Amino acid sequence: MTDVSLQSLSRRFGDNVAVRDLSLDIESGELVAFLGPSGCGKTTTLRMITGLLRPTSGDVQFDGESVVEIPTERRGAVMVFQKHLLFPTMDVAQNVGFGLKMAGVDKSEISSRVSEMLRLVELPGLEERKAHELSGGQQQRVALARALVVRPKVLLLDEPLANLDANLRITMRQLIRSIQSELGITAIFVTHDQEEAVMLADRVALMLDGVLQQVGSPDVFYRSPRTTEVARFFRNGNFLAGTRTGSTVRTSLGDVTVDSARVPAGDGPVVLTIRPEEIQLASNGSGQSNVIPAMVTSVIYMGSFTRLVLQVGDSTWHVQGPAGLQATEGTSVHLRLPTEHIWLVEEDSVPQETEGNVAV
Amino acid sequence: MTALDTRPPDAETQPEVFEDVTDPPSLIGRWTRRVAITSIVVFVGLPIFTLLIWSFAFRWNFPDLLPSEWGNRAWAYVASDSSRTFEGLWNSTKLAVLVTIMAIVVGLPASRALGQHDFRGKSTVEWLLMMPIIVPTLVATMGIHQIFIRMRLTETLFGVALVHLIPAIPYFVLVMASVFANYGTALEETAQSLGANKIQVFRYVTLPAISSGLLVASMFTFLISWGQYVTTLLIGGGTFVTLPLVLFPFLSGASHSNAAAISLVFVAPAIIVLILTSRQLGRDSSAMGGFGKL
Amino acid sequence: MKDILRLPFMLGPALGIVVLLFGGGLVVGLGQSLGYFPAIGLRDFTFEHYASVLTDSNFLRSLWLTFRIATVTTILSSVIAVGLALVLRQKFAGSRLSSFIFQIPLPVPHLVAASGIILLITQSGLIARFGTAVGILDTPADFPALVFDRAGIAIILTFLWKEVPFIGLVVLAILQSVGPQFEEQARTLGANARQRFFSVLLPLIMPGVLSTSIIVFAFTFANYEIPLLLGTRFPATLPVIAFRGYQDPDLALRPEAMAVSIVLAVVAVLLLVAYRRLARYAVK
Repeated sequence: MTDVSLQSLSRRFGDNVAVRDLSLDIESGELVAFLGPSGCGKTTTLRMITGLLRPTSGDVQFDGESVVEIPTERRGAVMVFQKHLLFPTMDVAQNVGFGLKMAGVDKSEISSRVSEMLRLVELPGLEERKAHELSGGQQQRVALARALVVRPKVLLLDEPLANLDANLRITMRQLIRSIQSELGITAIFVTHDQEEAVMLADRVALMLDGVLQQVGSPDVFYRSPRTTEVARFFRNGNFLAGTRTGSTVRTSLGDVTVDSARVPAGDGPVVLTIRPEEIQLASNGSGQSNVIPAMVTSVIYMGSFTRLVLQVGDSTWHVQGPAGLQATEGTSVHLRLPTEHIWLVEEDSVPQETEGNVAV
Repeated sequence: MTALDTRPPDAETQPEVFEDVTDPPSLIGRWTRRVAITSIVVFVGLPIFTLLIWSFAFRWNFPDLLPSEWGNRAWAYVASDSSRTFEGLWNSTKLAVLVTIMAIVVGLPASRALGQHDFRGKSTVEWLLMMPIIVPTLVATMGIHQIFIRMRLTETLFGVALVHLIPAIPYFVLVMASVFANYGTALEETAQSLGANKIQVFRYVTLPAISSGLLVASMFTFLISWGQYVTTLLIGGGTFVTLPLVLFPFLSGASHSNAAAISLVFVAPAIIVLILTSRQLGRDSSAMGGFGKL
Repeated sequence: MKDILRLPFMLGPALGIVVLLFGGGLVVGLGQSLGYFPAIGLRDFTFEHYASVLTDSNFLRSLWLTFRIATVTTILSSVIAVGLALVLRQKFAGSRLSSFIFQIPLPVPHLVAASGIILLITQSGLIARFGTAVGILDTPADFPALVFDRAGIAIILTFLWKEVPFIGLVVLAILQSVGPQFEEQARTLGANARQRFFSVLLPLIMPGVLSTSIIVFAFTFANYEIPLLLGTRFPATLPVIAFRGYQDPDLALRPEAMAVSIVLAVVAVLLLVAYRRLARYAVK
């Protein structure tokens, strides 16, 4: 039930700036996903929140009070790592009860709370087992139980599902999500998998190279990515440069109408983008607005949909259509870009200074 | 043998570089550390330092802190034939090398069997091989003395080497079994599937992989033989003279300088071995870890 | 399948040497202790030598001395070694040099260690001289007798010098291979330094400490050279008494010497098995 506030958090290792000026407010009970590729600073940020690492500058606050001077063991920010780190000499019950024992909770209460928590993670009756006797999924659930049973102020999960196979990951995600919202614990979940982030989180915070790129509810990253980098991370590489006047963007491949009410304001040079799923194939180029020519480079059948790789002007675009979509490699086609799905991004050449809640 | 998972943490998720800006609040405070390090340096260094000074002392009486007269007399004595130092050095070296080679020949296959295979009676075999560590070897040496006399093995290099093997083999196997256990057979199987024959596999795959552990195990074996006194005395009959036998009388005598000088000769090859292998000791934890698996 | 057939060949030589030489030596020794000594014409089996040995109060005193020295050495070296390993596992300025210095005693033969330590702690040794220079002492006799003393302090110090780095390096190897991850996890769960040591670290290093301390106990219990050099002549430790008896030109005394050594062996094995059982039980 704790609010977490990160204020201009920075961390450098020698010359390397791992986290640059990160500011973010997380509400009590919220699950925020820190998303980004390896090395982008998300694990470093988690370690600063839990206290295993000191920020070079900036502040971490729980419920409005700075916790940077409070050592990890008294902070109440419990971490679940990618490796389950179950203590090998203890059995499941002792592992789960560990935090309670450290806090001096009375034995019988530990015992009942442990059983209760094991039920919650769907592992009833496994108290006597040793860590190495369990499967990967069971081990992670025990690790989760161990973290939750102490009723932490903040729950930090550092790619906890990365070592599990795909199906297990899906069930575990649902389990984590349901327990977290049932118990109302503020949680931060680090992952490099955007599907995972989108499925789990109330809000997603995308980090690239130590900088917070964009924060918002998951749909924001699909409908209105702030920069080309953000769009690319979410599997959209379709960009077209042009000059905007009012609602019209003049490009080298034709004029395109945008929805002024929806896209960011400002005339002049812009870059427009549209998601592969929203593009339609038009029968011919004449008589329709928002149609641009393209050349089909390859047609890839993906089972439940078909992907087209096309040459659009100087760049490569992708179109995702229904499984039965017909197209021939080497032919020219026309792409219709529906106005309501066009977005204007910023050309991302310089890491931006972050703004607090950039929920667009 | 334990089932402890001793693989190193994943570099991807736990980079070396996580150091706190201020001193990490750990189990050891700064002052405790300083006291500990000083103690180590002093406690380790003092005896050696003392030996060094004494070996160059000509006259050094109580209560002087430093010799009143320096000299090379002890070293001259060491170099002379009457001290039998070189004879002892040569015998010790021959002996230790022979023992090490024999231990490797006999111990490698045994370690591999124990480290990589499970079989019925494995526990018994382990206990049998470790016997000389638990049971005092002096007992067995005294017992076998008579037999060796009858077999004319006493006063020979080979006989003494055999007796040195008794404590050497268990330590060798203890270290190498752990190395083999950590090593696993996957690499060899891959090589075989690529067409390598047994000899090639051993030479190009196995040997390089176990080499640092083998170095540590060999070093221990060498040193075990190097330091043996009473077993050499008994089976060597007093005529087969190794360095410890040369040194021993001086230790209970009054000539500190000579004792110091011979001690330093005795310790020199061991220090050389240390320098050669200390990098291995630091890097390869599977070798040292072998001692933790009794 | 082929491997199983090869196993006897792989294990055979090593087992053979140990069983034949060591086991054989034990059997012969046992025989002699029971009075079977054809060389001087004794062919009957008797327990009289054991009886006389075990009822001899001097023998019992020696047994106690041997036990005491081995126990004190083992406990002290284990505790000190764990402490030093905890210091050395961190990275700090000079940590690599310190670890290297810590390793130095490993290859140094016990006799050399004894040699250096004698020169340091006898009543006219370097430390005593330092004491006079600083003004604490006046004559050699003012410095406590640490060598040839009843407590065996010089013996224990020599063993400590050698065994602390041995145990310490094994514990260090374990700590380094495990890494800080479990402690970090424990910290986030609320464990303070003392709790982390006892609940997380100690269980992890315990098997290694146990194993090396068994080796140390066995070694110090059975060692001949160091107590001979640095200890009292009377009471002497068991190995010294055994070998002294063995060297006696009067061969009739040999069976008794062998009885002493067999008792030495039996006691050593019993103590170590008991220690191992006890320690395993305590860990649970």
